[in-house]
Amino acid sequence: MKRKVLSVLLASAMVASLAACGSSNDAPAQSAAATDSAAASTEASTEAYNLEEINVVVNGTLTATVDNGQAEFVQQWDDAVSEAIGHPIKMNIQQLDHSGYTDAVGRLFAGGDYPDVMIMSADMFKQYAPTGLLWDMSEAYANAKFQSHLILPEINENLKDEEGHLYGFAPTYGNGCVTYVKQAWLDAVGLKAEDIKTYDDYYNMLLKFHNEDPDGNGVTGDTYGVIAAGFVGNEAPYVNYLPEFWQDSYPAILQDDNGTWYDGFQTDATKAALLRLQQAYKDGAIDPETLTASTKIAREKWFSNDQTGSSGVFTYWAGSWYQTLTDNLIKNGVDEKLVELAPIAEVGAYLNREAPVWVIIDDGDGDNSREQAIFDAFIETMMDGDKVQTLWTYGAEDVHWSTKAESFTINAGTDKEKSYEYEDGQFHLKQSPNDPNSVWKKNALDPALVICSLDNGFNDISSLAAEGNKFFTENCKDAPQSPTSETYTNESGTIYDAKLAAITSVVVDGGDVDAAMQTYVDTVGSIIDQCLAELNQ
Amino acid sequence: MSKKKKITTSTGVEVRHKPLGLRIWNNRGYYLMFLPVFVFILVMYYWPMLGIRYAFYDYKPVGAPTFVGLKHFYSMFKTDAFWSAFRNTLELSIMKLLITTFTAVIVSIFLNEMGNLFAKKTLQTIIYLPHFMSWAVVASIFSLFLSPSSTGLVNGLLRDWGILAPDAKGIYFLASTAWWRPIFYLINIWKETGWGTIIFLATLAGINPELYEAADIDGATRMQKMRFVTLPALANTIITVLILNLAKVMNMFESVFVLYNNAVYSVSDVISTYIYRQTFAIALPNYGYSTAVGLFKSLVGCVLVLVCNWASKKTRGRGIV
Repeated sequence: MKRKVLSVLLASAMVASLAACGSSNDAPAQSAAATDSAAASTEASTEAYNLEEINVVVNGTLTATVDNGQAEFVQQWDDAVSEAIGHPIKMNIQQLDHSGYTDAVGRLFAGGDYPDVMIMSADMFKQYAPTGLLWDMSEAYANAKFQSHLILPEINENLKDEEGHLYGFAPTYGNGCVTYVKQAWLDAVGLKAEDIKTYDDYYNMLLKFHNEDPDGNGVTGDTYGVIAAGFVGNEAPYVNYLPEFWQDSYPAILQDDNGTWYDGFQTDATKAALLRLQQAYKDGAIDPETLTASTKIAREKWFSNDQTGSSGVFTYWAGSWYQTLTDNLIKNGVDEKLVELAPIAEVGAYLNREAPVWVIIDDGDGDNSREQAIFDAFIETMMDGDKVQTLWTYGAEDVHWSTKAESFTINAGTDKEKSYEYEDGQFHLKQSPNDPNSVWKKNALDPALVICSLDNGFNDISSLAAEGNKFFTENCKDAPQSPTSETYTNESGTIYDAKLAAITSVVVDGGDVDAAMQTYVDTVGSIIDQCLAELNQ
Repeated sequence: MSKKKKITTSTGVEVRHKPLGLRIWNNRGYYLMFLPVFVFILVMYYWPMLGIRYAFYDYKPVGAPTFVGLKHFYSMFKTDAFWSAFRNTLELSIMKLLITTFTAVIVSIFLNEMGNLFAKKTLQTIIYLPHFMSWAVVASIFSLFLSPSSTGLVNGLLRDWGILAPDAKGIYFLASTAWWRPIFYLINIWKETGWGTIIFLATLAGINPELYEAADIDGATRMQKMRFVTLPALANTIITVLILNLAKVMNMFESVFVLYNNAVYSVSDVISTYIYRQTFAIALPNYGYSTAVGLFKSLVGCVLVLVCNWASKKTRGRGIV
């Protein structure tokens, strides 16, 4: 009898624990169901949707990260937006790893976890726009209050499809990469940036950086000309990290002047680019780790305090990154000055990428009130020209920026010591929350790229960032548009793998370019043909 | 009408079973105890298997799944990258299994022969440690060591020793189709050999000392004792380890994922990494296709388990399932 009682008790305990696990797992679903049902009744009773919570998925472009004042940013957003829309609202941010963002979003969706609003790269946006997942915000955009202070209307007009649907909102223009060179290395090899005008000049500079001990450690050949995160990027505009080598080649599906789509990879221009890269790899002009380096690794290797194995040239984002890279070079005692290289003749202009966009997930219930409420709370306020736009641009008040009188010193006690002093009422950026030796730069919106003016007079763009933005806008052209077709969506991974295989076989293995191109055609030629047929029909 | 089969004991007495319901009732305590486990298995192991049906659907993160029959299987079998991944999975897994088992046996025998207990225990601890390091950390360490740039330790040593000319380009071990597999096996040996010795050392500890004493009396040398006593005693365990691990050869993922790159897909891409890229490395994945590849992988794994079971019955007299 005792045995039976014991077994019953044990079984009950196990069932109870399982049930407990189950109930805790089911809680969000039940809660969601409850919210849905509450929402449904709200819709029935009132026209306006009462949005109490908004779930946001974002990548690393939000610089107010969890360890960098995100809690204060969110709190101030909650307060400001609650006041703006007239009822309490709470924002929940899920910030995913920047370099693996596409993967992470795929995993979220695979788990049925859809946010209310999220950021997408141009590539992602092109694939998702026709699926019905994204809400068409064209009407909301047309009626938005921020239209009154819109300074770059064409950015979002260009995002509309042929029927005029607008499935994503770009708060800034795309921006792009420019080529930076360490001034100290130029001086060490006796070159001037203004003399680098052609590919030959550029290549000669890279060779000198490899062969003439620019870091002055007495060893030649232990430095490289240029480093990048891959020979070709996995996001449009694929060539922006090594534009001097790709020149007029664009190794992706793109449109010609007549609007006909073609494969830019299967062109003589691409073959010539691959041969340039092959030679540079062989000559040590390119850091061999370019093949496997992520942007973070490439960046940190470039401004590392140990310059052995580093490079003199790095093509990276314009604007505020000009300031950030310079700061890091100074902080690590590498260089005092960074030079922006004007596009060489063969490149002509740097590429302005298609802008990343914020999208609203359509719940598919045929009722737009919830989506409109998300637009009003999130996008409309983001461009309010005042309090909320300031939050997205500079971060949280008295955490990332302030108007109160204060003085602070960075790098105190070192030869890089710098003091800042501000009067009461003077808008200024504070020390970064997670690094008191650097000054905060911006939050998610780059003030120099934003499409709506910030009208409260708050402006603290560093002179270098402003100079960088000016330099880029004077030397850029729009990148080709990304394609959208069913086959391309399904097979883009296979196409990318085949492309990388061809590039590495030529550049790293020193293989024959025609043979590599033939392998590419044999592997994915039929898929490309299918994509082109769909795009050109 | 079929007759119910009678069950008899070895002495020919017919065994009369009580009805199933009555037997369950009589043992209800045990069945009740088993119930949560049964529910757990159903929910956690069998319910997710319903997802297998998506191998026959176009299923994307958005929109309802649409039935497409065997489309994904046709597409998969026509794709070179899939067959390359399939071949690589078998080659890498089986080679890795053989190499790590072989080295574990050798190291076990050496450890068993060591007389100094302190040295033996210390060595055991040292060689067990890499097993507890995550593959991500292992990959970072070896990427630094094997870097082709001027900061790479191995290339630096090769230059110092005169194997590479001072101005020669470093060998890109992890991006070379010739070097990637040897390096992969080497890293696996470094990481897993120590852990693999545990089971062999346990077997060695169980060998009857009288066998060694008899060999001593017969004048056997150390090598002869190793050959004629130790190895035969280990043989059954080696076969068991090989058979048990053979059933897992299709499951290779993490070790490859952290060490491979696009330059070496042809020799390194395995089914699991292929599925990963098809699922997560594209903006709008088709889960139907990756489920189809996953299902194929599971079927091959299932066949391997059955083959191993058959082999186990042949060699050990009992199966593994």
